[in-house]
Amino acid sequence: MALRLALVIAGAACLIEPRPAHGQSITAEAALTGGYSTDDVMAAATQLRVFGDVKGGIRFFGEAAWAGRSLSDLDHESDSFNAAYPYTNRVQIIEAYGERLFRPHDALVGVRGGRFRPPFGIYNASDHAYSGFLRAPLVRYEEYSLLSNNQLEQGADLVVGIPRFTVEAALGAPGDVGEVVRRSGLDTVVRAQGYYGPLIAGVSYMRTQPSQTAPVTDEHNHVTGVDLRWTHAGVQLRGEWVSGHPFGTGTSIGWYADAIVHRTIMGPVTAVLRVERLDFQDVESGSDEYLSRQTIGARVNLGGGIALQVNALHQSGDEDYPPLAFDVAVTWSVRKP
Amino acid sequence: MVWLEAPNAPRPNPRPDAPRVVLDQRNLSFSPHVLVVRVGTTVDFPNNDRVFHNVFSFRDGKRFDLGMYPVGAMRRVLFDQTGLSRIFCNIHPNMAAYVMTVDSPYFARSDESGAFTIAAVPAGTHTYHAWRPGAVSELTGTWTSGTLEVAWP
Repeated sequence: MALRLALVIAGAACLIEPRPAHGQSITAEAALTGGYSTDDVMAAATQLRVFGDVKGGIRFFGEAAWAGRSLSDLDHESDSFNAAYPYTNRVQIIEAYGERLFRPHDALVGVRGGRFRPPFGIYNASDHAYSGFLRAPLVRYEEYSLLSNNQLEQGADLVVGIPRFTVEAALGAPGDVGEVVRRSGLDTVVRAQGYYGPLIAGVSYMRTQPSQTAPVTDEHNHVTGVDLRWTHAGVQLRGEWVSGHPFGTGTSIGWYADAIVHRTIMGPVTAVLRVERLDFQDVESGSDEYLSRQTIGARVNLGGGIALQVNALHQSGDEDYPPLAFDVAVTWSVRKP
Repeated sequence: MVWLEAPNAPRPNPRPDAPRVVLDQRNLSFSPHVLVVRVGTTVDFPNNDRVFHNVFSFRDGKRFDLGMYPVGAMRRVLFDQTGLSRIFCNIHPNMAAYVMTVDSPYFARSDESGAFTIAAVPAGTHTYHAWRPGAVSELTGTWTSGTLEVAWP
């Protein structure tokens, strides 16, 4: 079907000039993903996002997702495709919030209310989904319940500072969307972030509720993290170190370092590389476990909104996870302004 | 977007009060998605999002890498050569925009219905160019008067 564009030439008037963009029209975005992993997993997922500006400088963002996986062995565990969305086989609201930014002089004040990812470390969905990695970092895998990309807060968030240095605080109740759900209560997240040249550094702290399946404890979970990012000429290096007490008497310490490389010479290919490790110690039970993983992969833009992602992994430390795994996924995304 | 060739059109002198041309970053996307500017135009790239962005253009047109900068900060780019610049964010691979730089004062971007209006076009026969995201190449032709309809194959 041919798309017709009508060009009307007027005889007299002033010249049309591009104008500043004061707001963003409401935009809808959809993504469909299908994937296979040698972890005995087939997966399918879809996300629908709607975002834009409304009156008074207020903007909104809403996202719903459905994702499901099939495993022939139901006792088998795998975190494949869990990069940023839960595979719970039901439709869920992920984020839904309104926000407003203020710019008094050179300062920055932002308020957000609704349902959002806790501002801890490198937390934005786009930093984990469709960046070339098909699994979340181990320190953000919900089975360990320390910190998860499936955790959400329902409350308010405030960021203040100057562009070079900001402090952000969020207060809310857990609204998790994964298989591991935290108990009800009040969460507090505080994050400080600064940058110098191409380097971004942040420190984060979260006081939150233990998961519903954790041993009974009156204590909260306390999670502390440090994150670094550096980018230059198509190379992005990232890292997070996270420590906390996910189960009261247990301690998790984990880190990852990865690289996302997209140079001009690589055309549609983005290369990714990650090394990571997670240690879990429980003084009460005497357990001392770890999981280590190395990932190499690529994201290939095939055109037409279609992207191919492949990951090859080597992992050790947990017998439930095979030492080698290969994940592949195809995502088609479309945007309608 | 559509523009008319105008090799002899005078270049305007930059005015300090001229309206700024902005390619905004918010909600992990560029706004607008498509921008057409005249060669010599400086485009503002403010970060009005809640995360860092690293805007770059490596392939065609104007090549630049603005580095990583946070919410509240702004970078500027002078588009001093004609052609299509594909704009991306190094941190967020789903972000993309296009800046078409043309050597003509007669250009416009379509509205939602696909209609353009270009004003103050001198009489005569003009060569037009049309482009849209996803198009392999530009459409070209000539126009003299009346309404022009451009049909994409």
